[in-house]
Formats: sequence, C-alpha cells, structure tokens
Amino acid sequence: MLENNTPPRWAIRFFEWFCNDHLSEAVLGDLLHLYDRRINTVGKWKADILFVWNVVQFIQPFALRKKNMSNLNNLTMYKNYFKVALRNMSAQKMYTAIKIGGFALGLATCIVIALFIRHELSYDNHYKNVNDIYRVYNEQTAPEAGKWTAFPAPFVPLLKSSFPEVELAARLIPYSWFNAGTNLVRKDDQVENTYEEGFAYADPELLEILEIPMVYGNRSSALSQPSTIVISKKKADKYFPGEDPTGKIIVLNDDKKISLTIGGVMEDFKPTSHLQFDFFITLSGKEFWQGEQTSWCCWNYNPYIKLRAGTDPVEFEKKMLSLKKVYIEYLIKEKNQSVDDVRKYYGFRLQPVKDVHLYSDGIGDIIPHGDIRYIWMFGGIAIFILALACINFVNLSTAKSANRAKEVGLRKVVGSHRSSLVNQFLSESILYSIVSFLLALGILSIGLPYFNQLAGKVIDVPWKEWWFLPGVIGASIIVGLVAGLYPSFYLSAFKPIDVLKGSVARGMKNSRLRSVMVVFQFTTSIVLIIGTFVIYQQMNYILTKKIGYDKEQVIMVQGVNTLGDQQRTFKDELLRLASVQNVTLTQYFPVAGTKRDMNQFWRDGKSQEEKSNGAQVWYVDEDYINTMGMKLVAGRNFQKDLASDSSAIIINQSMVKVFGFKQPLGERIMNWRTWTVIGVVEDFHFENMKDKIEPLCFVRGGWGNIAAIKLKTHKMEDAIQSITEVWKKFLPHQTIRYTFLDESYARMYDDVRRTGNIFASFAILAIIVACLGLFALSAFMVEQRNKEISIRLVLGASLQNIFRLLTDQFIKLVLISFLLSIPLAWYVMQRWLEDYEYKIEIGWQVFVVAGIVSVLIALLTVSYQSIRAALANPANNLRSE
Amino acid sequence: MKGTSLGEFEELVLLSVGILFDDAYGLAIVDELQNKTGRNIMISSVHKALVRLQEKGYLKSRMGGATTIRGGRDKRLYTLTPAGVSVLREMKELRNQMWKEVPKIVWEVK
Repeated sequence: MLENNTPPRWAIRFFEWFCNDHLSEAVLGDLLHLYDRRINTVGKWKADILFVWNVVQFIQPFALRKKNMSNLNNLTMYKNYFKVALRNMSAQKMYTAIKIGGFALGLATCIVIALFIRHELSYDNHYKNVNDIYRVYNEQTAPEAGKWTAFPAPFVPLLKSSFPEVELAARLIPYSWFNAGTNLVRKDDQVENTYEEGFAYADPELLEILEIPMVYGNRSSALSQPSTIVISKKKADKYFPGEDPTGKIIVLNDDKKISLTIGGVMEDFKPTSHLQFDFFITLSGKEFWQGEQTSWCCWNYNPYIKLRAGTDPVEFEKKMLSLKKVYIEYLIKEKNQSVDDVRKYYGFRLQPVKDVHLYSDGIGDIIPHGDIRYIWMFGGIAIFILALACINFVNLSTAKSANRAKEVGLRKVVGSHRSSLVNQFLSESILYSIVSFLLALGILSIGLPYFNQLAGKVIDVPWKEWWFLPGVIGASIIVGLVAGLYPSFYLSAFKPIDVLKGSVARGMKNSRLRSVMVVFQFTTSIVLIIGTFVIYQQMNYILTKKIGYDKEQVIMVQGVNTLGDQQRTFKDELLRLASVQNVTLTQYFPVAGTKRDMNQFWRDGKSQEEKSNGAQVWYVDEDYINTMGMKLVAGRNFQKDLASDSSAIIINQSMVKVFGFKQPLGERIMNWRTWTVIGVVEDFHFENMKDKIEPLCFVRGGWGNIAAIKLKTHKMEDAIQSITEVWKKFLPHQTIRYTFLDESYARMYDDVRRTGNIFASFAILAIIVACLGLFALSAFMVEQRNKEISIRLVLGASLQNIFRLLTDQFIKLVLISFLLSIPLAWYVMQRWLEDYEYKIEIGWQVFVVAGIVSVLIALLTVSYQSIRAALANPANNLRSE
Repeated sequence: MKGTSLGEFEELVLLSVGILFDDAYGLAIVDELQNKTGRNIMISSVHKALVRLQEKGYLKSRMGGATTIRGGRDKRLYTLTPAGVSVLREMKELRNQMWKEVPKIVWEVK
C-alpha cells in the first residue's frame, strides 16, 4: 500500500482514541480494507470522506471506550491534597498570612462595592407598578438648553383630563416654598414648638401613585380634604406615641391660621426612594394666591403620573406635546411674548421613576441623586482591587514554586497524571479562596459601618437573603479557580527528571510575568493615589477659594419668622450686644437650603422686542452686604430711611454682563415692575461650583426667617450665650436654633468630600494589597539569594551594596508603573473635573508627589527584608555546607 | 422464547457467519449480506450486531489473518457457538411449523 493511499491520519487517531480495545483493531482493519477498495472505484477524495463518515458512524455506545473504574480513589486523594495544603500553609506562615490576608482584604472591598452598587441600583424599584410610574420634566434644547421638573399649577389637571392613558396624576412641591421645606411644629394643645424638616405639598393621588403603605387612615382619602396632612410613622411615634393620631390637629410656625388635620400616617419612606419626606401637606383646595391654580405664570409643581398598563411611553410622550398649545396661547395672550423658541425647542418628557436616582444628570430638581458614572467607576475599582489580590496569589504561588517542585516530581514518578496535579493545585487555591472569603466576611461586618459613614448610605450585609451565602460560596470557588488556574498549570508542568536531578532553577528569578504583574499592581495604586490628591485639591480649592463673601464668624439664627412683628426689635437688640458686628434679616443666603426666586428681566419697556434674561431676585435689608462681607464694585448700598430705595436694585457683575450695560448705574430694568440700578455687587458663589455664577440682584426687603449675625470676637461660646439670652426674652417657649455659615457652605460640598474620602480609602486599600505582595516577593528574593548575600558580605560588601542589590529591581518596576500611570490618571481626573465650572488645573506637583510617595512606600516595604538580610550573620547561612 | 429472541438483522448476520465458516469477519459479512439481500449494509451496524451476538453467547471470536491491505491489522474472526447453532435451528423449525399451518388456499391467491 502506497503512503499517499492512506486515509487521513487524524481520523485513524480519532478512531483509536474513542474506540474500545475489543473492536479497535478489527474494525480499523475492516475500514482500511474498505478504503483500499473504494480508492480504486470512486477516487481518493471521495474515499477519504466515506472513511471519515464510517468512523463517525462508530461513535455509538457499543464501540466506545469504557470509563476507568478507578474513581474510588478520588476521595482519598482529595483528603491527601487537603492535608498537604494545610501542611504547606502552616509551614510557611508568613506567606500564607499574606496570601490569605491580601486576598481577604481585596475580597472585602469588592463585596462592599458590590453591595453599594446593588443599593444604588435598587432605588425606586420597590413599586408594584414600577414600569408604569413616571415623572414629567421639561426639556428645552435651544437656545439655552436645560431640563427641569417644575411645571405650572394647571399642567397636571390638564394632563389628566386630556389623556385617558393617564390613570393617576399628582403634583409635588419639594422645594422650600411657603410651608414646604422646614417648619416649627406643635400640637394645637401645646405651646412648645419643635423644628422639623421634610415638608412637602402633595396632591392626594401622590400617595396612590407612589404606593405608600399607610399605618393609619385610608390612602385614597387621607389627603382629600383641604388643610389635611399625612405624617410619617417616625413622626407619629414622636408626637403621638402609642395612639392613632388621625383627626388630631398640628399647628405650623405657631400660626393658628396654619392648623392642619392629620388625615393619616404613612410608613417611613424606604431608604432607597428618591423622595424622602415626613410630612405631606395636601394641595387639595389650596390656592397660594388669587388665580394661582389656573395660571401658567409660575412653575412650582413636579408632576408624577401613573400610565395605564400597556401604554407606550414613547408614543405618549409625543401625544403630550399637544399640550404645548395651551402654554403658547398663554404666552401670546397674557405676556405678549415671542413664542418661536417655545414652538421649536421646548417639550415635555417622561422619566421612568426607577431612573430618577441614577439618570438625572442635568435635570434640575433639588433632590440629591446618585450618578451612574460613579457606579461604573466604583465597579471598575472593585474589579481592579480584586485583580490586585488575585495577582498576589499568582505571584506568590509561582515564586514559591521551587518548594513544590520536588513534590510535583515525586507525585509524577509514582504515577500521577498531570490532570490530577492540576486538580490538586486548583483545589488548594479554592481552599485558600474559601478561607479568604470567610475572613473577608469578618472584615466586611466590621468595616461596613465605616463605609456607611464614609458614603452617607445605609447598607446592610444581606445575611438573610437566600442568595447571599450560596452566592458568596459560588464566588469564592470561581475566584479560587481563576486565581489558581495559572499557578496550577505552571506547577504541574515540571518534568520529574529535572526536578529530582535538582536542575530546576530555584524560584526562576526575574520571571517576566511576575514583573508585569507588579507593574500592573502599582500602576493601579498610583492612579488611585493621584486621583485622591486631585479630588482633595479640588475640595480644598472650593473651601478656600475667594467666593465673593466672608463666610467666617457668621451665625445664622433660624426660625426668626415666628417673631412676627418683633423681627425688627429683635435685630436691634442683637446689634446692642458687644460681640455683634452686624445683623441682617432675610430668607436668601448663598448656601444650599435657603430660598431662591427666579425672575425674568427685560430692559425697561422692551419686554416685547427683546429676549428676557433670567436672574435671581433676593429680598434683603440694608445690612446684608456688610454682614456678608460682599463688595460693591460700583454705586451704593440701600439706605435705611430712603423711601425711593423701594424701587432700587443692586445687580451682580454677571447680570451687568448679560444685559451688556456699559454704565449700569441708573439703568432701568423690569420684571413685573420697574427698578433702577443703584449699585453693582461683585460676583459671589451662591450655587454649587459645578455651575457658573448666574445673574442675581438684590431688592430691599427687611424680613425673613433667618437672622445672620456677624461676630466681632473669636469667643464664639460667649457670643452664642448672649444671643441665646436675647432670643429667650422674645420666645421663651422655643429653643434657639442656629447654624454657622461656613459649615452650611461646606455641607454643599459634602459629595466632593465623600468622593474624596472614598477614593482615599480605596487607594489605601489598593496600596496595602500591592505592598503585601511586594513584601512577600522581597522576602522570597532574599531567601533565594541568601548564600549569595552571605558570600558578598564575607567578601566585604557594605550594607549599602546589599541594599541596592536587593531593591534596585523593585524600584525600577515602581518607576515604570509611575510613568504608565501619569497619562491614565491625568485623563481620568480631567474627565472628573469637567463637571466643575470652577476648578483647579492638574499641575505637575501632584504627579511628583504621588511618584515620590509610591516609591517611598515601595522602598519601605522591601527594605525591611533587605536590611535584615544585610545585617544577618553570614556564618549562619553558610555553615550548613 | 424469552432469552433467545433474535432480530431479523441479527439472524441474517448469524447465518452469514455460518456461510462464511472460518473466514467470518466484519467486512466479509457486509459483502455477503450485500450480495444476498441487495440492500446497502452499514459496516457499523454489522459490528454492532456481532458484539451483541457475542454478548448473548451465540458467537465466539478470535484474532487473526492480518494482511497489508488492512494496514497490518488482524481480523476478528467469528464462529458459531453451539448455542448459536441451536438458536438458528429453533428459528428454522418455528418457521417451518408456521408455514405448515398456513392453509393452502392462501398460497393460491395471486
């Protein structure tokens, strides 16, 4: 038979592989015979195909190789693997501790982040009809793009009557507006007032839309009567412990006119709800001023709707646009205003309620939100830290391979297959991983409260959820497999003959892969360090930037409105105190949580020809500018007894800019009336630094709920003492409540501080994990070169020489990581800073400092082992030979 | 009849082994069956039947008769066991018996 007249070799091999010994030879002989016959009749190509087809036909149970029945031995072998693993662990305590400790730390971090992400994703998912609940927002695409949630009062009733698809619709006022926001509360039969937050106005149907469970009262009727209020269980327990408060009356701000009947008690809002309120005041029968409920003038209401099941939201969004004509009619008829932009660029949009928490970037509402980008970022960090921990595991396992090489060799000699060695090392790494996971759960239960504090969240370990423990066990097995994959194939590949001859270089120093992994670890760590520095710098910049006013030593006494007519006298009394420099009464402050009032302004008499400019109008008294330490760049302040100042207006520099005034003083502008500009105040930050400073103006007021007091002295406590005494004279039944302006200011940037702290903790964790690995590697290096070092020492090497010898390599790796991390960190942090209108430049100093810090840390980590080696008595190491 | 049940294909294979006496191996049986029946016979089903028949004790086998054309591989040569012979005989008698009981009139129908 000629060589080229044989069927494909792989087919023969394949057949011999699967076919049992009883048939293999005889059948193959038959098949070859048949092939030989065919090759003469149908040609080689077809014969080949038929041969393969015949082989395939034999893949049947009768022809297959029977499984080896030697499986009985498995359990014993696993017992042996387990024993050997435990012995190895206890023989090398330091490496084991580092392997497990580093792993556990990484895993704990990962679990915390996973829980955090789960928490963020669970927002507003608890409604039964979650897919039918939406909020409506406005979108303007040009000329000034913007999205916001407030609508005029008649919008929601119109929406409901126009479209049968809307099953329920309700309005909500979550802003500080009339009695929404904060109030003083008392029961109608008591005199003592208590300060409470979390008030909102709501339509009766809101309770149904948000499926709020009730403790007392009926959800559908709790708010249907005018002047009713629904309070949370928490507050009901506080004011009416152990009783059903339905029908009881509470009084707001000590004002008998605002007596509200409790219509029901609702369960507290879930922590994973974007709305968090304790008091819902009904909007039913409410009209804030004459004609307010029917006018499209004033935008204060956030709409929430529930669509009938099966309604297509995209279609409905299009249909909703037909309501624009009502708004346009209003603009033409009442305002005589150009409507081209509204026609072209303005529209209503729907947002599913479950998207509100994470996908509201750019939508103006005052509700605190999460951000989907942070979810991605933290998820990325979690994966990287897990990778760092796995790398430690891989690096140490392969580095210490010399210790296992003999074992592998011997096992092979006595007949172990490579597959069972792989099995052994995989089960060993799973064992490590399970131990680490147990430790990680311990770290988790200790560390989670700290994380909650750091992130301002309420996250529990879901021990009791059915999926949690199986999930953790599953994850530990998977992680163990992944981390053990490379080491187990690496270790099981040793050739027994080399190992037993002793020619496997002990430890294979400078494995390139190991270096790459160290570089990866340090690159990640350095990026996190640089990120932390940048965030803290930005934070520092915000807190110390010249913000256009002086926030130090200003006390804000809250609830002054309850003084009624005596506000003025109260102010005069305060001014008489020695420690007080200045006092102002108003509702408007450049910190979050105080009142805002957006108006549209035109140049006088030009409301029909020109576009309007939006600006804040703040009602302040003549002491405001001095108390707040603001600077007038032109003109004059209000004067106390000058009657003509009631139509005077002081504008800020950005308002001068948007109007393009060359000589602002004396210019006349109008909103609902006409004002004359008497002064220009320097721009100051009154909103978050993420946004530009917008136009703003002061007009004369002289009343308010807050008295801001500028102190002369540094003796805060004495000053507060004397202020409290004055307060007691006026309102003996009400405790004084005050805040500090600088603290309120800092609170506006809580989220930046939080991000900074979280970043810092992750950076520290990453560095710890990376350093643990580096420490173990350096210990290993020293161990390897023990004899070499000893001989060098004997020949007269100095401590310095030895130190250099041992650390050079590591420092080189850290420097490479540093170079790699610079562009990465720069890019990421530049993206983060894009959010801020006012921000720092990322300077070279950050990188230099981060570089020095990381090199120092790495040096410290490796130097312990190096110095110890250099100081050891060489005789001890050399004696044995 | 239990224990001695034989499928039609198995019976044919068993008979072929008898015909080919002393040179009954896989491919030869395939050829024999193809000649006699004119059907296309799959080599894998023949081997499958042979394995089954040996398990049932109707056949025994030995290795031998390698040729170059078979790549130097031995044949598995099958021979009938006494049990195999008797099962064939039983089958034949059963048929004869049944043939006799069919009334003549049946055969006259065209």
